[in-house]
Amino acid sequence: MTVDASAHLAAELIRDEPYYRPVGDEIDLFAAAYAGRLPVMLKGPTGCGKTRFVEHMAWRLKRPLVTVAAHEDLTAADLAGRFLLAPEGTVWHDGPLTAAVRLGAICYLDEIVEARQDTTVVIHPLTDARRALPLDKKGELVPAHPDFQLTISYNPGYQSAVKDLKESTKQRFVAIEFDYPEPAIEAEIVMREAGVAAALAGGLVDVGLRSRNLRGDGLAEGASTRMLIHAAKLVRGGAPLDAALRSAILLPITDEPDLREALAAAIAASLPEAARL
Amino acid sequence: MIADAPTLEAPVGAHRAALTRLLAGRADVGEALSAALARLDARWSAEETEVWASGALGLVHANAGGRCLAAYFRLSASAREQEAAALAADARGAAEVARHAGSAAALAVLEAMPAALLRLPDAGARAFWWRGLVRLAREASDGVAPLAAHAHAVLAAGGGPAFESFVAAGLRATGGSRARRTAFFALEDPAARRLLERAGGALGFEDLERRLKLFGRALWGVAPRLAGLEGAGLAPAPQRASIAGELIRLPHVYRGVPPARVPPLYRAALAHAQAHLVFGRRQKVGKIRPLQIAMTGLIEDARVEALAIRRFPGLRALWTPWHEARPGDAMTAPMLMARLARALLDPDYEDPDGFVEKGRRLFAEADGRLDDPLLSRAIGGLLGNDIGQMRLRFDLKAYVVEPLYRDDNLALWEFDEPPDERADEIEQAVDAARPTPEERDDGRPSDEAPEPEAGRARPVSADERGPVVAVYPEWDRAAGAERPGWTTVRDAPAPHGDAAALEAALQRRHGFSERIARLVKGARIGKAARLRRQPEGFDLDLDAAVDAAIALRTGDLPDERIHRASGKRARDVATVILLDISESTRDRVGGATVLEIETLAVAALARAMEAAGDAFAVRAFASCGRDDVRLFRLKDFADRFDRDAMARLAGLRSGLSTRLGAALRHAGAEVEAVRAHRKLVIALTDGEPSDIDVADPLDLVEDARRATLSLRRRGVDVFGVTLGGAPSGAVFGRANTIPVKKLEELPARVSELYFRLARL
Repeated sequence: MTVDASAHLAAELIRDEPYYRPVGDEIDLFAAAYAGRLPVMLKGPTGCGKTRFVEHMAWRLKRPLVTVAAHEDLTAADLAGRFLLAPEGTVWHDGPLTAAVRLGAICYLDEIVEARQDTTVVIHPLTDARRALPLDKKGELVPAHPDFQLTISYNPGYQSAVKDLKESTKQRFVAIEFDYPEPAIEAEIVMREAGVAAALAGGLVDVGLRSRNLRGDGLAEGASTRMLIHAAKLVRGGAPLDAALRSAILLPITDEPDLREALAAAIAASLPEAARL
Repeated sequence: MIADAPTLEAPVGAHRAALTRLLAGRADVGEALSAALARLDARWSAEETEVWASGALGLVHANAGGRCLAAYFRLSASAREQEAAALAADARGAAEVARHAGSAAALAVLEAMPAALLRLPDAGARAFWWRGLVRLAREASDGVAPLAAHAHAVLAAGGGPAFESFVAAGLRATGGSRARRTAFFALEDPAARRLLERAGGALGFEDLERRLKLFGRALWGVAPRLAGLEGAGLAPAPQRASIAGELIRLPHVYRGVPPARVPPLYRAALAHAQAHLVFGRRQKVGKIRPLQIAMTGLIEDARVEALAIRRFPGLRALWTPWHEARPGDAMTAPMLMARLARALLDPDYEDPDGFVEKGRRLFAEADGRLDDPLLSRAIGGLLGNDIGQMRLRFDLKAYVVEPLYRDDNLALWEFDEPPDERADEIEQAVDAARPTPEERDDGRPSDEAPEPEAGRARPVSADERGPVVAVYPEWDRAAGAERPGWTTVRDAPAPHGDAAALEAALQRRHGFSERIARLVKGARIGKAARLRRQPEGFDLDLDAAVDAAIALRTGDLPDERIHRASGKRARDVATVILLDISESTRDRVGGATVLEIETLAVAALARAMEAAGDAFAVRAFASCGRDDVRLFRLKDFADRFDRDAMARLAGLRSGLSTRLGAALRHAGAEVEAVRAHRKLVIALTDGEPSDIDVADPLDLVEDARRATLSLRRRGVDVFGVTLGGAPSGAVFGRANTIPVKKLEELPARVSELYFRLARL
């Protein structure tokens, strides 16, 4: 017996347009990939808008979105489903992936490398010509709904060599690369997301650039757009600029004293009033 | 005992009598002795003179030679208000120097004494002086004479204590090289001069270099090329930054700046120099008067700063605090120029002077075309004329750019032919503009004598120094790049020592080994894992729960283990323990040498790891130049830690230098080859890398830091147990540095180490 997943998934249909500011041709690319039902890999640093982009595309393509945040304890059963007990006996319960496959949703596996490699293999039959999900415990082969599509996100930056995708997994995807947008566009995003004035947003983006200059030299990643939005929201909530920058950027981003001091000084230099950091 | 040396019980006057008898008829010293005795008799009692004479006798018996004795007698005669005991101590020190380094060295020291005494006010300060000299005489006798000749400069840096630590640092920094040592103690080695400049403990360029590079890179996106600025010869280091090509050279220290203001000052200097590099352009000097050169530089400074402030508004706040010129200052050309410099930067600054007003106005009018480099020359020329008409004296040679953070502006000009007075400075600037000294092109450091076989492609063969195990790169701090194939690690035979004695020493430390064994055994090092089908846990294991429920319903006996828990799997760790056995491990820390503490600690640790069943290897290292990093294999992964291994551990002797980076790289490579979940390198060291062919120990510190970082990236955790000395997080990072001052502290520190491991 099968639990009807459609009622559950209807709630996943995104009704209001999620704000997304296109940077390049990523919307067209994704639409083209979706038209061919090709699996997509979104590559890029943390907090640059990958998840928001998928939400936006699901809304644009009018498909339900099933998001699974991968973690190291995620098992194949957590994705595909398992038998549960009901008063009348055992009942199969579809996992989020199976539900998306049946219903024709976009399934988004966030930070896929966090999952164990043997878990990742479960998606292989879905991402080649077979387009089917075998449920071995149940003895069922679920053919993918014509509208089903798989998207994963992958941040090559911070994972160690231990945590990398298998070659056989990587090569199943078309990739779209993301990075932090141009300053003007990023300022527009910060303004819109945090509801702050253009001047403040521009200043914050400049702060972000200072930290991104140090990428690879002590910092694994510069301050993300998300961090800048956080800082802007703190200011909007009444925090002084220097305190907001300290809490939203400087303290989270590094624990190394040399680096923190240098970054604080560079940030202070790029702000009009000498913010004490 | 020498026959005519009187004993302490001898009657008063016996020493004196012996002294006069021994030197009777010696034309070279007789006169000086009688002169000294005449002076001393006038001042002292017979008992005091006797104390002095006993010291002088020691100098006679050390065969110090007539000139030495005469110098000592002259010193005694001229010394004012000296205590007899202090002078006798001087004689004993000089005798010791003569014994180890010869009478010429002792003579040099005695001749330097009158000047040195001005900086050595009391017997305590003099004790430092003699301790340093005697140590030098014993360990590197050829360094005594050069040091004596420059003693005043060393003492000027901080008196007796600075003198003694300078000797210690010199011995460490120069290793066994005689030429390097002579250069160091004659203060010809830049490292020696830097050491003196920083003797007061001030923060200097070296301390801030990394922060500055990060700061510069954060601002402009490219890491600035930085170097410290040396003074020429014995001259003190310049106090203004200097730009040459892309290279920004900053003073090693800014003297007289309060410590808290030093980091902002360096940042201000760097930001100013970078503004020149980003917005400036060199100009031909042509026909221009000295005042106009200076004024053009001043306007150019203001121009590039204004442009930089447009980009980074906060820079103004970095620069303004250093401008201190005020209207009340004396009316000299430099003062007036300093006021103008302030007026052009600081909009809040008010100055009624007409000249300053005019400068401000001209500069403000040019606001729209600030990006034109010729602007500075136009305005500078006009204002230079004005100052000239004010009949204020101006001397370009003596002129120093104000304020402190600005650079010397030499980089602004292309001189048709270098004016004489600045020729050598320009030469220096040109030298510095070359990316690296030419000799570096083939991978050889410039300060090394050319060897025919040196270079990258040099065949590395087994020779009498032991078979080559591996070749590793080394970080070149000046060039900011790795030199490939730079260090050669060789296998060195580990001699057997007295295992029983080490065993006994371990037994004597009651409870010490047991505590370590308990800690190692109890450590939770292993892969974190979610454990399924557990009898208890934080969550239901769904699959197990379903199975159990099915079993219940079908009348079977259910398995009650239906929970999930998180825990550590079996320990799975491989460790290389690395012992530093360089010369400096001979130093004593609380009654035992560093090496003794190291061997005891390793013996206890190894025993404990053996009992816990962990895979580990033990290596010791010492180096003698980059071609000969010796590695002593005390225990391999495959071996047991048995009596043989104990004997090898007991057989270690201190000697040679510490090329820590190469040893870390090798230990890392060895542990990487082992299959394990956690891989560790635990280095026991006194934490001061150095080697005979490296002038600046900081180069090796940076190299070791790089080695640590690269291992960490590859999943090998590196911990440094630093014994004695000041713990420094420079190599291993603060969190991974475990300072141990006494052996007794070790168990507590080991527990910390394992605590960190369990958390990681």
